Amino acid sequence: MKKTIKKNRNQLLESWFDATINTYPEESARILGKKSNRFDNPIGGVTRETLEDVLTLITEDFSREDLEKALDPVIRIRAVQTFDPANAVSFVFALKEIGESVIEKADIINFYRLVDEMALAAFNRYMKCREDIFLLKATESKRRIHRAFERAGLVAELSEGDLLGSKKS
Amino acid sequence: MADELTPDEALDKIDYRPRSSSEPRNWLDTTKSVQIRPGMYCYAAKPESVETLGLPYAREWNPTDEDWKLPENWQEILHEGIKERLERFRTFKIFMDICVRCGACADKCHFFLGTGDPKNMPVLRAELLRSIYRNDFTFAGKLLKKIPGGKRLLGSREMSLEALKEMWYYFFQCTECRRCSVFCPYGIDTAEITIIGRELLNLLGLNIDWIATPVSNCYQTGNHLGIQPHAFKDMLEFFVEDIEDITGVDCTPEFQKKGADILFITPSGDVFADPGTYTCQGYLILFKYLKDKYGLDVTWSTYASEGGNFGFFTSHETMKRLNAKMYAEAKRLGVKWILGGECGHMWRVINQYMDTMNGPADFLEVPVNPITGTRFENAASTKMVHICEFTADLIKHGKLELDKSRNANRVLTFHDSCNPARGMGLLEEPRYCIKACADEFYEMPPNTIREQTFCCGSGAGLNAGENIELRMAGALPRANAVKYVHNKFGVNSLATICAIDRAALPTMCEYWVPEVDVIGVHELVGNALILPGEKERTEDLRMEPLPGVEEE
Repeated sequence: MKKTIKKNRNQLLESWFDATINTYPEESARILGKKSNRFDNPIGGVTRETLEDVLTLITEDFSREDLEKALDPVIRIRAVQTFDPANAVSFVFALKEIGESVIEKADIINFYRLVDEMALAAFNRYMKCREDIFLLKATESKRRIHRAFERAGLVAELSEGDLLGSKKS
Repeated sequence: MADELTPDEALDKIDYRPRSSSEPRNWLDTTKSVQIRPGMYCYAAKPESVETLGLPYAREWNPTDEDWKLPENWQEILHEGIKERLERFRTFKIFMDICVRCGACADKCHFFLGTGDPKNMPVLRAELLRSIYRNDFTFAGKLLKKIPGGKRLLGSREMSLEALKEMWYYFFQCTECRRCSVFCPYGIDTAEITIIGRELLNLLGLNIDWIATPVSNCYQTGNHLGIQPHAFKDMLEFFVEDIEDITGVDCTPEFQKKGADILFITPSGDVFADPGTYTCQGYLILFKYLKDKYGLDVTWSTYASEGGNFGFFTSHETMKRLNAKMYAEAKRLGVKWILGGECGHMWRVINQYMDTMNGPADFLEVPVNPITGTRFENAASTKMVHICEFTADLIKHGKLELDKSRNANRVLTFHDSCNPARGMGLLEEPRYCIKACADEFYEMPPNTIREQTFCCGSGAGLNAGENIELRMAGALPRANAVKYVHNKFGVNSLATICAIDRAALPTMCEYWVPEVDVIGVHELVGNALILPGEKERTEDLRMEPLPGVEEE
């Protein structure tokens, strides 16, 4: 199966990329799907690179952690856009249908399992990104203003260090 | 770029996708699609803040509620508001008329590129207001709306509640950064459309709190954070103590000193919010150096304690009221001219509005650097000089003694803040200062810097907590370029000259590129500048060991 994926990597990538970009509104997908400079089109650029990395990774030995790391850039973007959680990671499942045209029948169950594994990694990473966002939301203003006041001794409360310390314990 | 597009492709960029079953392919009919999504919008202005400023229709309201508690004749108010502004602002009238919807701006907005929401294409955002203008104010509009299908032909629509809600939602998803205007073949400044759009929304009391409360604070107390004069002085005195610990030199500044050479005004974020506070310490060190070496007399003011101007994000009148205190204080103190700190929109207000709003400031002199003799012709009328121009001029004339090795732990890149870059063309001076203070500097890709710089995603009053998803999505194009130089050159420090950047970019970095830290240009100057009589420094302004010292 890995050989088949490797052999058909470009075809898989193009179809998977299109399916992922088409989760955006059509008017946007048309622009984001163009092969333009990666700095002029970060969603398109990062999405393509990430999917490419993931397709390479699955032809090698990998752990769930490796998968999460490889999926991170694209999930990180989708976690701050207006997708609901299901639609943020649904692009992974698109690979099942795409794979059906190239993967041999005998391997298809294994391929589905692989995609499932990828979906679990995507879900993990999505939650991690959302937690990052909530933590930033909770600590940002405190870090900015409160810390300056703390250093100046204008407020006396638990310091940010104390609070973050209690999180670790 | 516009010239790379064929007409078909350009037209292709605007898609009139089905929005309603009654009129498929008409994107203007958005009745089904107006969704005020959490994470993308800012909370409504508190009524007290709106009241302080005497702005109309102060009330409790919630953007996610069906009922926005609008005045009964709100459509009439808006109609009159648009009419008045079309007469007052020639630019607004032209920008409403001349857009040919070529689509050159469509993919230039960081909010579109980050959110993927088609209504964040500048052309479509502007079209939200333009469609109403066409319907109510143009001859063709009046004629065509009587014909079936005429409205669609012209791209016009009635001022409905849904249209109003949509304008509110998207005009507060624009940071007025003007990147789109760089690419417009007609020179339409879409930011000005947002400015007028927000001004119109304010006629109905529809501001956001992250703007209204700072404006109210600034109007009453002198700065956005509402910090009173004694606390402002306390903070600077605390910085003085820290600097003395680090350098052994007392950098106590002057406050409200009558007859000083220069009045220094900076955004209050530099005084109260990390990491701007370290930039503020850099200013204190620079002024002490100039006083000891050259006898330059600089004063701060607890009255003009805010360089920023959130009035700019409310209305022209509010901007004028907040800006007036700069000139009033300069006049009262009898200084020669004003020096301004590292800030973003403050400089757009100064460079493009101050002179005609509250000027001419005939009582001030055309700024001349008394140490180098340089006459700042660009500030001949506003009488206000950017500190990066001032410092770059001092460096150019060899007037500052700098030890670059103290910043040797920093591998730098520079984020051009939208307003100094596009609003006043300040591109070289900050880079010149950085390169004089540190050895390792790498530019981000050319299509992401200078006049093409990508916004931090939090400007124009949108640096709130509740809209963090919008901010992080909007910061994607910037972060994407930062990540690139981090990976390629090992960049670990993102230098910037804007207080909003210093507040917003650390959060951006933490989410997208956690290995990169944010630093003001004058923090670098403060670290590198060798003060007369200083002790051997072992720490930088953040009280972290200087490079080389940590190993000893």
